[in-house]
Amino acid sequence: MISKGATRNSNSRRIKFARRFVSALLHMRNQNPRPGSLSIEGSVRTRSQRIKIAAYLSMAQAVGSRRAWSRAVLSKLGSRARRHMRRMGRSSLGSLKKKRVIRSYSPGELGQAKKLRQLVPGGETMDICSLLEETAHYITCLATQVKVMQTLADNFSK
Amino acid sequence: MEPNLGTIARSISIRPNREETGLESLQFREEIHRLMIVPPENGSSFTALLELPETQAMELLHSPHSDKGVTVPLSGVPLHGINDDHKSYLPSFNGNLTFPSNKVLIERAAKFSVFASGEHSPETSSVPSDSSANLEKVKSEPADTDSNPNSSQLLVSDPTVNIKNQRSEKRKEREKKGKGCTKKTKIEISQDAEKLPYVHVRARRGQATDSHSLAERARREKINARMKLLQELVPGCSKISGTALVLDEIINHVQSLQRQVELLSMRLASVNPRIDFNLDSLFAPESGSLVDSNFSSMVSPLLWPEIPFNGNRQQHQQQWNFDALHRPLWGREEDSHTFITMENSLLSYDSANSASLHSNQLKMEL
Repeated sequence: MISKGATRNSNSRRIKFARRFVSALLHMRNQNPRPGSLSIEGSVRTRSQRIKIAAYLSMAQAVGSRRAWSRAVLSKLGSRARRHMRRMGRSSLGSLKKKRVIRSYSPGELGQAKKLRQLVPGGETMDICSLLEETAHYITCLATQVKVMQTLADNFSK
Repeated sequence: MEPNLGTIARSISIRPNREETGLESLQFREEIHRLMIVPPENGSSFTALLELPETQAMELLHSPHSDKGVTVPLSGVPLHGINDDHKSYLPSFNGNLTFPSNKVLIERAAKFSVFASGEHSPETSSVPSDSSANLEKVKSEPADTDSNPNSSQLLVSDPTVNIKNQRSEKRKEREKKGKGCTKKTKIEISQDAEKLPYVHVRARRGQATDSHSLAERARREKINARMKLLQELVPGCSKISGTALVLDEIINHVQSLQRQVELLSMRLASVNPRIDFNLDSLFAPESGSLVDSNFSSMVSPLLWPEIPFNGNRQQHQQQWNFDALHRPLWGREEDSHTFITMENSLLSYDSANSASLHSNQLKMEL
């Protein structure tokens, strides 16, 4: 059952995410004049990519560093990662990952566990138990993210 | 209702400890009939039923017609005729009886009984899905099911098979009680294991009690609890039984959510270049869902532009230089202040004619 504490948590999380995301969108609006060189479709694509990254980043920031998946998102998309990318190129991120042999402790779950690890950020270095927990939290946060973005999109297209 | 159910279970369990006789099994079957038949008639008579087995069993046996309004077919019915009535009452049993879904009873049934195996699937199919789900949870220990071939669904089963069940169940009860004194005791229900600070362990028959298997069992309980949580989260997952399918469902759900995020980001990207992007219209309809007082207070000062035009231009140029990469700046926490000032400038554009402003900026860039 959803306790009062849980709804308060989810509300504040939603509001934090909405705030950050909207500010990111406003910032994004600023860059409209830039793609004079790109085609319209290309600009939409890059913009949508940026918006998607902004959404995940805002959500991870709203959650904070409490959760393993949010830490993974922040490290993947954070400023340090960007500086790394700028200097060393994309290959550096692969070497930053921890090398760990993944063993599935409960038999008969290999295929799904692997897929889940790929879906949930930071899931590669987790055991099944914590993976399930992170998945549950991740699903709730994704749902709020979708709701907020949905309302935004509906309001903009009016 | 719960204490009464406990007495039912206890009364049923006390019986098996006495010597096995044909009479005993008949009495037991009669009790089962009482349990199954009376509830559909009247829920309140259920409690009255509980007293009956202990005190008036012999009477009942000879005069099966009780004074609780039991239907006529049962009265004076010979033993072989019970089979047919059983089957006719099973569906109503499923519909009206609520205590199979009672977790306390399921716990006790699980304690006394052994796991349902494949050979009794016809009976188990008639069990209410809730109890079967619970028993399945208990059943999910992979090593355990093989050692226990018989099932005893105390409340619903074919009478002919029931006799076998009772006998095996009685045997196991005795053995377990014998074993229980010497070994550690454990409550085999996952929900209890989650609540207690530490776990008492009772070994089932033929199971190792060393620390490894105990730890594994605790681990499995944890994983099952998490799976249950996930099942509640994902819509439409509570009907599905079996970890593999549930996991598939969860994976599909996560993928669909991520796809939705992508689609919505495309929508927002196509909408965004709209020049009359006005925050007023944005926040008014969203006041119910998104905006709290802090948010709106943060936004409202932004609607009063006071920043000179030239200063804004410089800020924008700096922004463009920063943004050489396709990554947003807001990853850094320390930049949050600059964003608010940015929003100031953006909104000042809003109030003016932003189309001309954009063209000016383009000229500047080029």
